[in-house]
Amino acid sequence: MKRPVARTISSSTTTSEAARSPRAFAADRAEIIEAVFTPEAEPGLLPLPPRRRSWVARLAWTSGGILVSAGLGLAADRLIRDLFASNEWLGWLGLGVLGVFLLAIVVLVTREMLALRRLRVLDALKADAARAVLDNDRKTAGAVTEQLLAIYAPRPDMARARQTLSDTLPHLFDGAEVIALAERSLMAPLDARAKALTAASARRVALVTAVSPRALVDIAFVIYESVRLAGAIAALYGARPGFFGFWRLARAVLAHLAVTGGLVLTDGVVEQLVGQGLAAKLSARLGEGVVNGLMTVRVGMAAMRVVRPLPYETLPMPTVRDFIGELVKVTTDAGKSA
Amino acid sequence: MPQPPTTITDELGIALSNLADSATGILTPTLRLGVTGLSRAGKTIFITALVHNLLTQGRLPGFAPLADGRFIGAKLAEYPDATIPRFAYEQHLAALTANPPVWPESTRRISQLRIVLKFQSAKWWAGLTGPATLNLDIVDYPGEWLLDLPLLGLSFAEWSAEALARARQPGHAKEAAEFLKALDSMDVSKDASDSEAERMASTFTTYLRRSREHGALSTLPPGRFLLPGDLEGSPALTFAPLPRPGVPVRHGMLYAMLEGRFEAYKTQVVRPFFRDHFARLDRQVVLVDTLRALNAGSEAVNDLETALTAVLACFRQGEANPLLRPFVRNIDRILFAATKADHVHHTSHDRLGAILNRLVASASKRARFAGTTTRSIAMAGIRATSEGTIRENGETLPTLIGTPLKGEVLDGTSYDGKTEIALFPGDLPERPDSLFEDGQPVSLNFLRFTPPQKLDRNAAGDVVLPHIRLDRALDYLIGDWMA
Repeated sequence: MKRPVARTISSSTTTSEAARSPRAFAADRAEIIEAVFTPEAEPGLLPLPPRRRSWVARLAWTSGGILVSAGLGLAADRLIRDLFASNEWLGWLGLGVLGVFLLAIVVLVTREMLALRRLRVLDALKADAARAVLDNDRKTAGAVTEQLLAIYAPRPDMARARQTLSDTLPHLFDGAEVIALAERSLMAPLDARAKALTAASARRVALVTAVSPRALVDIAFVIYESVRLAGAIAALYGARPGFFGFWRLARAVLAHLAVTGGLVLTDGVVEQLVGQGLAAKLSARLGEGVVNGLMTVRVGMAAMRVVRPLPYETLPMPTVRDFIGELVKVTTDAGKSA
Repeated sequence: MPQPPTTITDELGIALSNLADSATGILTPTLRLGVTGLSRAGKTIFITALVHNLLTQGRLPGFAPLADGRFIGAKLAEYPDATIPRFAYEQHLAALTANPPVWPESTRRISQLRIVLKFQSAKWWAGLTGPATLNLDIVDYPGEWLLDLPLLGLSFAEWSAEALARARQPGHAKEAAEFLKALDSMDVSKDASDSEAERMASTFTTYLRRSREHGALSTLPPGRFLLPGDLEGSPALTFAPLPRPGVPVRHGMLYAMLEGRFEAYKTQVVRPFFRDHFARLDRQVVLVDTLRALNAGSEAVNDLETALTAVLACFRQGEANPLLRPFVRNIDRILFAATKADHVHHTSHDRLGAILNRLVASASKRARFAGTTTRSIAMAGIRATSEGTIRENGETLPTLIGTPLKGEVLDGTSYDGKTEIALFPGDLPERPDSLFEDGQPVSLNFLRFTPPQKLDRNAAGDVVLPHIRLDRALDYLIGDWMA
């Protein structure tokens, strides 16, 4: 039998870390680190993490780009030379046309870039407005409102709303109030028109689906209407997307639809099912009409949420419910007349 | 043992009047809004501005029914009870729009006004019924009268003991000296005489009035001694606290006479007020003039807190039970408003709000426990100043631009009521608690300003009264009834 043994362990590392005696410092020597709280604007609209392109792909794109532009430059050069060779005035004409073409391209590119920037400005405005409401920050709210007024300054149809807003602004002292006022006076008329646009689009889609002979026609029409609707709504809210801007917008809308899983969760699922079930009872084609119409409605709503420069704070967010009655009515009317 | 403020008969009467109100209110609901505050808190201005803005559909961007475009119009209507004075809205507005404008007279008695609001509800069935109407009854009464309500639970002996102990406190020595001298020189057990009672009552009233003037505020009941309304000089207001005589109290003694008058005061004056007006309110706004107390220092701030807590203890508050709704009316929303926010730069409104929150903290805690929702804001019924900045010694000071009232003094300069100045009233403390502590003087000086000199007119030719956050107050108080 062994006796119990205890031995001290001499390890310098553990002792020095374990015992730290209390000490006091002068306050100004301390570096103050505070947790930074940044309020999240809207979790549903967070951009996807940027895809990282590998350097090989980047190399391929760059070299390809160089080759193509060199080819284009060479082709243009050859063309002008040939024109000069055949006839001198033809050469001058060709040169002039080329100049006009280049100028037009430059203008187009600038416009696209401006449109992209504007989309980004609207995004930033939305985030600022959400923050101003959360912090009740009068200064930020005032800046947001000024920017909105500038964006809508060239719009004759909003003169009255702008006037009300700028008249009342000096009498408000709360950030949240300022944003609420801006939303009520500037966004309310736009919201109504965006809703009307969406409803009209959905109606057309439902009708075409209900009467069209082939499924392919429906799909083409749904895509066509969705693209047109998203563009119209963006233009309405002052985004004026160009070609590339539109791609960005479409991506955001699709991302939004994907995030909400195709179903807007703020809506009762029941209503959607009831709406669809009701029409589907009437006939399969009419049911499809309603479904396609609802799809368009969701595209419209997603576009509104993406491009609207202020978050939905005081005004209610549009819901699918607002559109269902009308859709069912249109399709049943079509069913009766068919 | 304190008794409850109401008797069973009172409760029955209250329930019956509520039932009558409910029966008449089936078609047109009536919302009774109580407006109170200690004197000079800005009650008259608040009501005048509120009524005027509703009548002329003024600048109220934060009032949801108006901002949504659902508000159709408002008009003044005859108040059903013909015995209660009407709130003199027209006179007050005339005073404000006169040349030169003056602040209207202050509340001296209870008054009421009914304003009928027409609006379109946003509820789904509103499309079937068309525009709805709501009677808004505004009840204006001096906050001092509320200090009387705790008296309902006290006997004359209890109240006398309390009042005399307070008068003998060292802080009250200067104001109460005359009253105590009169008391000492008198024998309480002698026979009753009217002249003796009058002498005691008048010295007691002087003591109350002085302590309010000197100490900026008063938490001393009975409130009608300060604001008698139409009862001035009546026997019910002619009494004073007396020490209990050594001999047994017999009929005909001065003590017995004053005791009878105290009881009469309770049953004839305080209880009807409680029963007919106070117990039947739906919403209450409590206006607090924090700036006046801040000017006067920490003692006045403490005093104000005590007064507010006492006043708010009287409210019948709590959620309305939908089943008992025809019989029981409870105050389910209380708004605490720090008035005269126009005397502070808007960057300091947060701090003013924090001070108000600190002042009403215990009262609002109790209200929330009872199920009432409370909110506090810094507001101004009528905005008398505009804002600007001044650079001095490389420092940018936020200032208020306005005309101080005649006789206001700052740094030895007395103003004549005509010169416009830019005033930096001092920074409000970041920590509201520091106001309640002695020994740390806060250097603040809020001058009183004249009403706005030049008023805009709207398209219909009505005067537009500028305000601060009146729309939010209104939205909180009546917005949900017009949803």
